[in-house]
Amino acid sequence: MMARSQGAFSTDHPWSRIGWMSFVVIVVISSVLGFVVLSRYQQNDETLDLWSAICRSLGIPVAGGPATSPRPPLRTPTELAWSQATITRIRAGNAERGGFVALNCVACHEAGAAANPAYVIPTLDGMEADAIYKQLVDYRSGKRSWGVMNAIARALTVEDLADVAAHFAARPGRLQANSGERIPQGGRAFRQADVGARLVFAGDPQRGIPPCSSCHGPGGYKLGAPTLSGQYTAYIERQVAAFAQGIRQNDIYEQMRAIARQLSPEEMQAVAAFYGAQTREQIAAKN
Amino acid sequence: MYNARRLALYHYWVAFAVFLPAVVLGVWQMLMRSPLPAPVDDPNLYYASVTLHGTAMAYVVTTFFAMGFGYAVTVTSLGRPLKGLAAAWIGFAICLIGTLMAVAAILSGRASVLYTFYPPLLGSAWYYSGATLLIGGSMIWVVLMIVNMAAWKRDNPGKPVPLAMFATTATALLWAWAASGVELEMVAVVLPRAFGLTEWMDAGLARTLFSVTLHSIVYFWLMPAYIAFYTLVPQAAGGRLYSDTMGRLTFIMFLLFSVPVGIHHLFADPEIGAGFKFLQSFLTFLVALPTLLTVFSICASLEIAGRHRGGKGLLGWIAALPWDEPMILAVGLSLVMLGFGGGGGLINMSYDMNSMIHNTSWIPAHFHLMFGGAVVIMYFAVAYEMWPRITGKPLHSKRLARWQLWLWFIGMFVTTIPWHITGLMGQPRRVAIFDYSDPFLAPMAWLVVLSVIGAVILLASAILLIVVLVRSQIGDAVLQVPLRYALAVNPPVRVPKALNGFALWNAILLMFMIVEYGYPIGQFFFLKSSVPAYEVTRQLTGVR
Repeated sequence: MMARSQGAFSTDHPWSRIGWMSFVVIVVISSVLGFVVLSRYQQNDETLDLWSAICRSLGIPVAGGPATSPRPPLRTPTELAWSQATITRIRAGNAERGGFVALNCVACHEAGAAANPAYVIPTLDGMEADAIYKQLVDYRSGKRSWGVMNAIARALTVEDLADVAAHFAARPGRLQANSGERIPQGGRAFRQADVGARLVFAGDPQRGIPPCSSCHGPGGYKLGAPTLSGQYTAYIERQVAAFAQGIRQNDIYEQMRAIARQLSPEEMQAVAAFYGAQTREQIAAKN
Repeated sequence: MYNARRLALYHYWVAFAVFLPAVVLGVWQMLMRSPLPAPVDDPNLYYASVTLHGTAMAYVVTTFFAMGFGYAVTVTSLGRPLKGLAAAWIGFAICLIGTLMAVAAILSGRASVLYTFYPPLLGSAWYYSGATLLIGGSMIWVVLMIVNMAAWKRDNPGKPVPLAMFATTATALLWAWAASGVELEMVAVVLPRAFGLTEWMDAGLARTLFSVTLHSIVYFWLMPAYIAFYTLVPQAAGGRLYSDTMGRLTFIMFLLFSVPVGIHHLFADPEIGAGFKFLQSFLTFLVALPTLLTVFSICASLEIAGRHRGGKGLLGWIAALPWDEPMILAVGLSLVMLGFGGGGGLINMSYDMNSMIHNTSWIPAHFHLMFGGAVVIMYFAVAYEMWPRITGKPLHSKRLARWQLWLWFIGMFVTTIPWHITGLMGQPRRVAIFDYSDPFLAPMAWLVVLSVIGAVILLASAILLIVVLVRSQIGDAVLQVPLRYALAVNPPVRVPKALNGFALWNAILLMFMIVEYGYPIGQFFFLKSSVPAYEVTRQLTGVR
């Protein structure tokens, strides 16, 4: 309503000219500096030609350039990526059909099974489907190795993996669901006397160790990380040790290896014991 | 105050009623971060509290205050009733409903996404809907400001729009441009995911859209303070405004340079190329122009008043100013805080220096000093100025009001200076608990305790504010003083069309936005940057 009479784009009155000229000057100066000078003459970098400089300042990676230096061979911890396709596949898992596949599993993974007297085989009842699926994919591709698991996983189709993961996820058992609330234990977990509880709820910032619970519960949850509340103590201790020694290497970004390497054997034991004690009955008894 | 008396009063009361509890939350948050024991020791509550404190202060208090102020300025500066009173009340109701929805969602613990709600964090749809309604409802106010100014211009052809109204309309337009970013983010990215219509969120697009809002909203908060600087302060000092044209140019420049600069909040984000980061960093420096212009004009106006009151010599005019007037005291304190806060801001907006302090406690320290300090202290002064005009009752006690302003000033410095320092030492922001036995954190402990002391002083000041306002309102109506705006030394008789309207400047701003944001937003149509949401309420896959 104010615009029509005024002719905002015309340049025949002085303020219009001043406005538009300032606009052009500002844009030209800042563009030349930002798109040409800045990315062309940065220190610690080879000088780029004009076109590459512009591409880089737009955020488009330029082909070519100083890419001739030798690179170490790429080692990936897993072949799985948390893409939409992966999550869609896991969600499509059919728990009923998974029950049929799981007939092969329960001989060892059944809680308190005769084949598992030392409890070094994890219980899977109630574990997140995405965590189970990732481990199966890693067994299948050889990124994680353990006894018969590689052969078993290779015998399954990708669909079977999702189905069996959905099956175990839906089964009630020892493992505690992560509620999605973060660190329910209150802030001052640093002052906990129990080493296990302190590491689980507060971690150890001085050594760069985050709280276990922020990914593995109780409370916290991160995609692909299994809940540990209620898991067998012996199994957890063995896995943390395997990460620490580099025997197990299927953790993305070496997250678990970086943490486990810093833990003393007593601390590994304490954390494992803390989680092992978190069964449904014991929690119920405590309250 | 014509037909807008009750309207303005209701807006102010919502703002200040939300303000006090939000300050209490702030004190508790500072206590939580400190080595001292906090009453409720729960990090979950900390993040819910930060969300509530931020939402209340940044969206609710400011929006309601700016709207109330806008209505009051419209009727008093144009000297006629507000057009569209019914629409204004509808807007008030929508904003209030939105506020209640958002607050309820935060209190339920299902929306602890902090007030910037950066995807892929995902909270309750009630929170996002509430925030959308609050911001959307304020667009009615925007339209009313434009309509009222345009109608006055139609009825008074050739006459210059009063500076106060011109500046208020600039504020409204600025807010419309600013809000476009967050509203688009809500409608295009966040709400569809919150309602379960989409599975993924384009975090890069959402952050870029939010950056359109994130810096300009700061100037939306700032504008009522600047309007007071130009139109109320010289009057309260008993002098005249140094230059009307400078005022108009200042508000035009704020409109132009506060929107296409938001990417300086994304310097550490990978989705924006270095070129655009530099471009917007460059433009951000131009925002210093209107601020420097304002400091110059206001000091000049105050000098005119001081000399008029008999001040002599190089600096004698400063002592001659009526410092017992809350408005004059507030502007003095505000300019000091503006100086310190602005200096910090130059570091934040510098493309390279920003990396020293990015995401450290320097950042909240900066915006508390700037917004919580320099701007909010002017909100107080405006309230003290407006209250007698709206209620017809004299201000309860100027002495208490001065105490309140001084306490706020001292409290804000005691809080934010140590906060800045811990930021330089590397303390991250938005963290609930710190282990101060850590050798890295131990030297920060006493500084954080200082900040807690400052926060308590601020709380005392906030309580005093409410006491003064309530006691003024329950007094007897004896007063009938119209609100007067400062006259310029050379009152405008005719101003060029370009300085009497916004069409030209809107067109230039549109071109700026196309140049500065066209590619950064457009790139997301071919970048694949969608990610799974990280829900603070439920688990991710829902498969167990």
